[in-house]
Amino acid sequence: MPRLLRSLWLTLILALLYMPILSVVLASLANTRYMRFPHRTWSVGAYTDTFSQQETLTLHLVSLKVALCVTLFSVILGALGAMAFARYDWRGRSIYQKAVVLPIFFPQPVLGLALLMFYSALGIPPSWKTAIFAHMVWILPIVTLVISIRLFGYDPAQEDAARDLGASRWQVLREVTLPHLAPGLISGGLFAFLLSWSNLPLSIFTTGADTTLPEWLFSRVATNYAPVVSAIAVIGTFASVILGVLVLLGLRLSRARAG
Amino acid sequence: MSPGRTGYLFALPVALFLLAGFATPIGIVAWYSLMEPRTFALTAETTLTNYRAAFTEGYGPPFFWSITGAVATTLACALLAWPTAKMLHQLAGRGAAVLTGLIAVPIFVSESVRLFGMSLFLMPGGGILAGSLRALFDVNIGTVLNTKLGVFLGMVYVHFPFMLFPLLLGVALIPQDRRDAARDLGASRWQILREVELPLAMPGLIIGALLTFVLCVGANAEAAILGGQAISVVTRAIEQRFSYAQDWPMGAALTMLVVAVTALVVFPALARIDLNKLIRR
Repeated sequence: MPRLLRSLWLTLILALLYMPILSVVLASLANTRYMRFPHRTWSVGAYTDTFSQQETLTLHLVSLKVALCVTLFSVILGALGAMAFARYDWRGRSIYQKAVVLPIFFPQPVLGLALLMFYSALGIPPSWKTAIFAHMVWILPIVTLVISIRLFGYDPAQEDAARDLGASRWQVLREVTLPHLAPGLISGGLFAFLLSWSNLPLSIFTTGADTTLPEWLFSRVATNYAPVVSAIAVIGTFASVILGVLVLLGLRLSRARAG
Repeated sequence: MSPGRTGYLFALPVALFLLAGFATPIGIVAWYSLMEPRTFALTAETTLTNYRAAFTEGYGPPFFWSITGAVATTLACALLAWPTAKMLHQLAGRGAAVLTGLIAVPIFVSESVRLFGMSLFLMPGGGILAGSLRALFDVNIGTVLNTKLGVFLGMVYVHFPFMLFPLLLGVALIPQDRRDAARDLGASRWQILREVELPLAMPGLIIGALLTFVLCVGANAEAAILGGQAISVVTRAIEQRFSYAQDWPMGAALTMLVVAVTALVVFPALARIDLNKLIRR
């Protein structure tokens, strides 16, 4: 394939993917009642307004609480699940593997509604805590897969070798298994955090009276335009993107040092 | 302890969690769908009234649009992602890693933010596109916002990465020498694509298509943000049963129909794929 054509195509795809995100940034840089681009006066007024609102903080805190809990629980359960997925050969493994990926291939809003009925049947009032459980139904399978990818490249003979050299079970886990698993755990955790942080379809139905950032944005976007909405969208998005880049860079660095 | 036993023990927590969080809710919805319309009790006689209503009371259009939209989006994403995946694969090395990372980032930007951005971009008059064109070239353009086309573009935009990444895995399964051999034997480009590349990349293509289709069948944010009143999708119809109409059994029956559509597509496709082979690489 001609080089030029390839660069053109890939540039076009990237431009299209980022255009809407860029549009939100551009729209946030004015403080007018109506959207009139190009702005006559550019300003960061929307951001100062945003920072002075208590609501901004509350929204971020709810999203953060949910995402952190989802990350923690998903990585712990996902690590165990991945051992069964990729490390051990056991009867029923292929059924287990397909059952684990099933929730990924399920429409999320429908899952959210089903969970809402489930909570109501059990008499549990929905709140940010039930949203954690809901997010995990979709995110835990993904984390399990991500950690499994790392585990497939693992040679279990290392564990036997360590045991033959007199290592205890705990030492084998700490010195052999976990260090190999670490990059998988970190990328799994990163996936969990970012997917939970940005999730809309599950949150809508399962947070009850609490509101996460994407939910708030969705309700505001569908009803009325205001620069503050753009500003909050930019802040929330960049917070997560920066976190993602930092973790990935850290992962690169630690791998470079180890290798 | 035998490896078989250990594997079983490790599988237990995730299996139990998904039993409680995935299988049970679907079971409850299935049970709800058999209750009398507009009731909230779970202990009454079962009835098929809701399913009968689902087929006779005008729920056809939302189902039609959701499924048509999902098929169209899957096709469009596959057509766009195939050349992209091949190019990224050919590129290899550092540049490809950076590019792939850049393409992945939007997945982690909330749907509401991306669709909001798209509506700002497409907005008539003072939108980013229309405003820029007027200021720069003095051209006035219309908008696809609040039309079916707008919703379709939004669906393609949101779901493109879900097609691309499985396809990248799939394209990586094609050995270059296989392609060269076919070419040396005189195969045309079209023949190479059809006889060599597509069959070898099939697992990735199936997973990508499956993800895109399933996510699109349930998609409602695109229609809400970009579609105005132009289109009614099935998730919206279900949601209305739950909220305004307070008719949970009817909503549950519609939900089960979506579950059935999904299962009809997902089970046969998943049965054909060896997950180990695709991920192990």
